Amino acid sequence: MKTGIRSWLDERLGISSIAGFLRKKMVPQHRHSLWYYTGSAILLFFAIQVVTGFMLAFYYKPTLEGANQSVARIMTEVPLGWIIRSIHSWSASFMIAFVFIHLLSIWIAKSYRRPREFTWMSGVFLLVFTLASGFTGYLLPWDDLSLSATKVGTDIPRSVPFVGVWVTKFLRGGEDVTGDTLTRFFSFHVSILPLLIFAFIAVHVYLIQKLGMSLPLSVESKKEKVKELPFWPNFIYREMVVWLLLFGILMTLAIFFPPSLEKTADLMAPAPEGLRPEWYFLFLFQTLKIFPPKILFINGDTIAVLLMFAAAILLFFLPIIDNKPAEKKGKVITFFAYVFIVFAVTMTVWSLL
Amino acid sequence: MIRGKKPAPVFLLLLVFFLAFFSGYDLAQQETPEEQSQAAQAEKEQEKIVSSPKNIKESTGLYVFVGWIWLAVFVLVFFLRLKIKEVDRLNRLGYFSNKKK
Amino acid sequence: MKLKHSFFTRRQFLNGLLGGWAGAFLASFLYPALKFCFPPTREPDQVVLPFSDFEDMEPGSVRNFSWGTKPGMLKKRADGSYQAFVAVCTHLDCNVVYLPDKKKFFCACHDGWYDENGVNIGGPPPNPLRQLSVKREGEELIITKKSVE
Repeated sequence: MKTGIRSWLDERLGISSIAGFLRKKMVPQHRHSLWYYTGSAILLFFAIQVVTGFMLAFYYKPTLEGANQSVARIMTEVPLGWIIRSIHSWSASFMIAFVFIHLLSIWIAKSYRRPREFTWMSGVFLLVFTLASGFTGYLLPWDDLSLSATKVGTDIPRSVPFVGVWVTKFLRGGEDVTGDTLTRFFSFHVSILPLLIFAFIAVHVYLIQKLGMSLPLSVESKKEKVKELPFWPNFIYREMVVWLLLFGILMTLAIFFPPSLEKTADLMAPAPEGLRPEWYFLFLFQTLKIFPPKILFINGDTIAVLLMFAAAILLFFLPIIDNKPAEKKGKVITFFAYVFIVFAVTMTVWSLL
Repeated sequence: MIRGKKPAPVFLLLLVFFLAFFSGYDLAQQETPEEQSQAAQAEKEQEKIVSSPKNIKESTGLYVFVGWIWLAVFVLVFFLRLKIKEVDRLNRLGYFSNKKK
Repeated sequence: MKLKHSFFTRRQFLNGLLGGWAGAFLASFLYPALKFCFPPTREPDQVVLPFSDFEDMEPGSVRNFSWGTKPGMLKKRADGSYQAFVAVCTHLDCNVVYLPDKKKFFCACHDGWYDENGVNIGGPPPNPLRQLSVKREGEELIITKKSVE
């Protein structure tokens, strides 16, 4: 019976070619193969975000008057609403954490070497979109903390000369953070960013299939043939094990450590004490904090923001910059990955003290 | 980037950078006092909505649910490992090379 | 390879166990998800209204009140007693209107007609308008779900 259905579908959809490709696709097995699992982990958490996001959007009201109250309703009245919200909140953190892990593992393994430069660049876009999703989502409960975090976050581009002010106005829908900011952020969070993420994932995954799995330099330099596993079914079953374990951890954390909700934001109130962005922005937050108000007559913030922007540009062009990966230049670039890890962790911990 | 043994220009550059960096510092900066009276703190806590199961039935149900999830995860991982062993064995025997079902 | 005396191969057995447990695992999320998507109806058990809002009603007239998220209608009978309906048509849930000159309730969606006691008399409505109990307690009118006598 199974062969009957399969051939019926295949005659109409031509899926056997995809199935055939997946069987032929090979995944190398070596001591660094563990990092290959980070990509599909991101997909798992993204899928969870989409599903829980759909469900939350059933009850969430993206208006100044309704936002906080609707989230409160989800947490108190809607059956198991608090769990769905908790999963959405935790899965966001997991997704962003794995995006960073994935990026760093690719950087250190130099998987972006020719011909995989576009895979890396589409990945940098995905990093930006994922962080933007986290930032826009954070405002939606519209409580004092998220309002203040948004005020600070949307103020940062302003320090860039000439264009900064327009970026801030575009993000806020005006000079200040208002109800218009909320609806704008909602549009970004549920519509614009997910569509962009889907599109760039499609490009990213297509390129990976087209160009095959890359090998780290240390493995490639060994002349012996590397053991390979078929993607389907061998590697996919291994990925399922990873998904199940990650899912269990996510559900446990979501059920026992759900997020709370502060009362609705007061646009006129002073900024609350202990104001902090989400953990994934803490290292940037702390970096901005330590910059002095002025460096040689230039606004300190301006320099900080421009430096961050420059770092992002460098990150984007990393495969082009790292054109001699096996030589000293390549080793220095790998070293910078570790420098970044130490910097980010130090800054994050410092901001919490 | 760092070629040969000529670190001196680099150190000079870093020194200039640090001097410029700290030139803008107001060393008389004071730490913002973080005072929050007990009453204000308590009030803030009350205004929060904390999600939690409502009654003993619901919280027991949650423990059961989490327990079920982990039970299912471990059972599925156990079966998947068996499946992986089987599929690896087939691969070693060359079952998957040039195979189109 | 299937032995003659066994029902299925070891591979089929393993696949069955894996599929069965995976199905159970996924299905266990269906119940909470459905509960989330079908919140309980928010109809109130009772509604308390100030009598002062209704004491000046003319006999035979109807005044609106809120029955949770649905419209309710309070009717003062000719003898001065009160009657309450859920002003929702029993056909396809449109809100009905009271026509005092005709002494009938009318549903504009599909030309449904009810008499002054809410009994369906014309058009597609299959049942009379839902009645609610009205009780006067001092300065308040208590409107509750009608219990079966």
